[in-house]
Amino acid sequence: MAEVVLQGVSKSYAGRPTVHAVDLAIADKEFMVLVGPSGCGKSTTLRMIAGLEDITSGRLLIDGREVTHAEPQKRDIAMVFQSYALYPHMTAYRNMAFGLLKTSRLSKEEIDQRIREAAEILHITHLLDRKPNALSGGERQRVAIGRALVRQPKVFLFDEPLSNLDAKLRTHMRGELKRLHKELGLTVIYVTHDQIEAMTLGTRVAILSQGRLQQVGAPMDLYMRPANTFVATFIGSPEMSLLRCALKPNGEGSLVHHAAFDTRVPERLEASEILLGVRPEEVIVGAADAPAMARGVVERTELIGSEALAEIRLGEDRIVARTPVMSAPPAGAEVGLNFDMARVRLFDAATGSAMPRL
Amino acid sequence: MVISPAFRARFSEAALAYCLLLPSLVFLAAFTYWPIVRSIYFSFHDVMLGSDKIFFLGLENYERLWTDKLFWKSLGNTVFYTLITIPCAIACALLLAVALDSKLRGMTFYRSAFFYPVMIPSVAAGMVWVFLYAPGYGPINSALAALGLPKVEWLYDARWALPAIMFMSIWKYSGYFMLILLAALQLVPRDLYEAAKLDGVSAWHRLIHITIPLISPTLYFVVIIGLLHSYQIFDYVYVMTQGGPADATNVLTFYIYQNGFQYQDIGYASTLANILLLFVGGLIGLIALVFGRRVHYLGH
Amino acid sequence: MATLQDPIEMAAPAFSGPRWRSLRKVIRANGLHALLLPLMLLWISPLVWIVVTSLKSRTEVFDPNAGFLPAVLNFSNYPAALAVAPFGTYMLNSILATGGILLGELITITLAAYAFARLNFPGKNILFTLFLLQIMFPIYATFITNFLTVRELGLVNSLPALVVPFIASGYGTFMLRQAFRQVPTELADAARLDGCGHFGILWHVYLPLVKPTLIAFSIIAVVTHWNDYMWPLLVTNSEQVRTLPIGLGLLAKSDSGADWTRLMAATVVVVSPLLLFFVVFQRRFVDSFMHAGLK
Repeated sequence: MAEVVLQGVSKSYAGRPTVHAVDLAIADKEFMVLVGPSGCGKSTTLRMIAGLEDITSGRLLIDGREVTHAEPQKRDIAMVFQSYALYPHMTAYRNMAFGLLKTSRLSKEEIDQRIREAAEILHITHLLDRKPNALSGGERQRVAIGRALVRQPKVFLFDEPLSNLDAKLRTHMRGELKRLHKELGLTVIYVTHDQIEAMTLGTRVAILSQGRLQQVGAPMDLYMRPANTFVATFIGSPEMSLLRCALKPNGEGSLVHHAAFDTRVPERLEASEILLGVRPEEVIVGAADAPAMARGVVERTELIGSEALAEIRLGEDRIVARTPVMSAPPAGAEVGLNFDMARVRLFDAATGSAMPRL
Repeated sequence: MVISPAFRARFSEAALAYCLLLPSLVFLAAFTYWPIVRSIYFSFHDVMLGSDKIFFLGLENYERLWTDKLFWKSLGNTVFYTLITIPCAIACALLLAVALDSKLRGMTFYRSAFFYPVMIPSVAAGMVWVFLYAPGYGPINSALAALGLPKVEWLYDARWALPAIMFMSIWKYSGYFMLILLAALQLVPRDLYEAAKLDGVSAWHRLIHITIPLISPTLYFVVIIGLLHSYQIFDYVYVMTQGGPADATNVLTFYIYQNGFQYQDIGYASTLANILLLFVGGLIGLIALVFGRRVHYLGH
Repeated sequence: MATLQDPIEMAAPAFSGPRWRSLRKVIRANGLHALLLPLMLLWISPLVWIVVTSLKSRTEVFDPNAGFLPAVLNFSNYPAALAVAPFGTYMLNSILATGGILLGELITITLAAYAFARLNFPGKNILFTLFLLQIMFPIYATFITNFLTVRELGLVNSLPALVVPFIASGYGTFMLRQAFRQVPTELADAARLDGCGHFGILWHVYLPLVKPTLIAFSIIAVVTHWNDYMWPLLVTNSEQVRTLPIGLGLLAKSDSGADWTRLMAATVVVVSPLLLFFVVFQRRFVDSFMHAGLK
């Protein structure tokens, strides 16, 4: 069992807070991804878990034991760094053995056995005698993961481990990491700025912005039910369009008024202004003369292979729609638009937080 | 009182830092800063070598400087030596470096040939040049005679003694400066030269307008190194001339030595040492002021 | 198209033709050599003169009709030089003094450079300035009061006296701090997770990674202190503690120019250890001095 619990963990540098009271519980064998734009505090949070940064206030528990101010090596964790941080003057083997020699009481034979096992799993047995500068980026990555594996820690920490790899290798290593997590039953906390990495790897994803935890949940949960406009626009590519609309109660439900259209939602909501959140695949583009909720003019169309993205002007706003390549409207065309109103999200325009839907 | 763990961590980091600095600081204080403090204190006192008695003199030691002809002569010699030797050695080093900054055959050999004098102890160098400069049988005079030129008494001639030592200094240090400049030249992007060549810029103008501005931070560094090495003139004067003939080669460092160890007047020697520090410090400050701002930092 | 490019060739057809052109090419290609060769000869002539003289007989030196090279190779100057002064003791003292300085310097600069490169503490900038300023206060400017200090410590005429003023090195601290700052912080983080404290990180990560800088500093320090003259001159007054340069200076003084052959043989003995090292490890030496100022 290896749970990690953060209770109101905060960090400030010279009195300026950079991480605000993060509460987060990572369950055993979970793959938790911390994601957010640069400077959101995700790396600082990870480094606080690792013990590389002091925790200004709050508590950190690993496996039920408080380790808020424990030394890094006493936390039973291992970390894979963005630059891999392999010791350049040691062979891959020595790199993997170094931490064990320092922190464990294992015999030479046991250490050797562990390294051989990890190398087997990672397919790097033939690289063990090489020094890091004789290894490719992907191979270094594997050695860095191997160095963490041999420690057999309770928790694995990854700090943007794939960002130095090229696109193809990144996809491949993503698959590898997933396999390792599943086969070895690892508990992982993984930091990235890449939302696709977050969505594909995480069993749960925690989104941070400006040092605050925005939402924690399963990837599809975040995609379908974002808690606020930040999460809504951060997850998904191209991003969700937000349309500012006036709201009026109307019987059981509400009337939604936008410069380019009027519609209604079944919920009765207590706000005068809302943001209507529409994902590109929730926009149905039709001919200009077909019956439609709203009409707009296509500003530009991008073919991205399997499908097309159309940017459509709608009154003062712009909205992105995903259409099949065959039926992509040309720029300048007038089109009729329908929204999948059952899936569209509503946000309070004043606070940015999501409003409950039926 | 509650001490936060974060505060404790910062405190222990500072404590560790002071512990790590301690060994250096002890020696730095004892053999660099304490001597300077003491030297300032002594300059206001009458202190004799080997005597425990110290008398307060006020500014008397400094007033004595005004009327001490030998002080002015040694200061003049020091200024003359510094202001001629360093620019000449650097100019020589720069030309050698530019010439060697190419794929020349025998490049490593040339480099070593110009650099080896740095490895030779100053006392050995001084002695060999005493021999080379010897009036009767020395090879330099033999060469002059072979060319039909008049012989020169060199170290025994008040007009030639200091220039002779200066020439030897240039021989000894140019190679060092050359190496440092060579390292800087190798960082100058080749395409700059090629672009200038295409524009029809002559070799001389390339040197003046491209090379020198681009390596100016290193030139600046070499000037400072040169200034600090010029202190070593003490060794040469001690070995080659003992300040003579007629104090033609007496320089400040040697005059300090004479006052301290031959006349045992520590107070006055300290006063002179302070003047020397002011002179070199002032020169470095002046150079920093004049050139420090103008140096062109490559890519910084 | 050479005829078009070269107006001289057109104006003076007598000098054209492949032979003349190739001669000019040779001159242009070797112009640098034409400049460098005489200078190089000038530069190495003192060294050649030392070696040649050490192999001459005493009368040859003063004989204006004798040639540049010795008539007969005369090796007897070497045993004569070695017999007249205890060069073995001098050599041992030089090794002990230089080794002591180097060892002390390496310890102090490693610790101080780590503090300046990786730790935060109040007064860091002021202390660092104090270290840097040391470069401006060499022993040549402070020898009078330093001598008094060493005498008060009762160290005059002992090996420690040769060593103590040079233990702290502002220059070395600066050089090593620059090198430490080049080491990625993630490596230090990784070492912390691997169970290293500050000293573990220093020993297992930082020092192995800055080896080139350590070697460069060591070479410069050895060359500087092996050749030291003024300070050992002031604080030594017996054979037991004198170093090679001091011994050579004494020999020169006692000879007073009478016995150049023996003196030059002694000079060869004194200069050859460093020059031999230089020849063997040329690349290392050159690199060390070359990049010492740029790091």
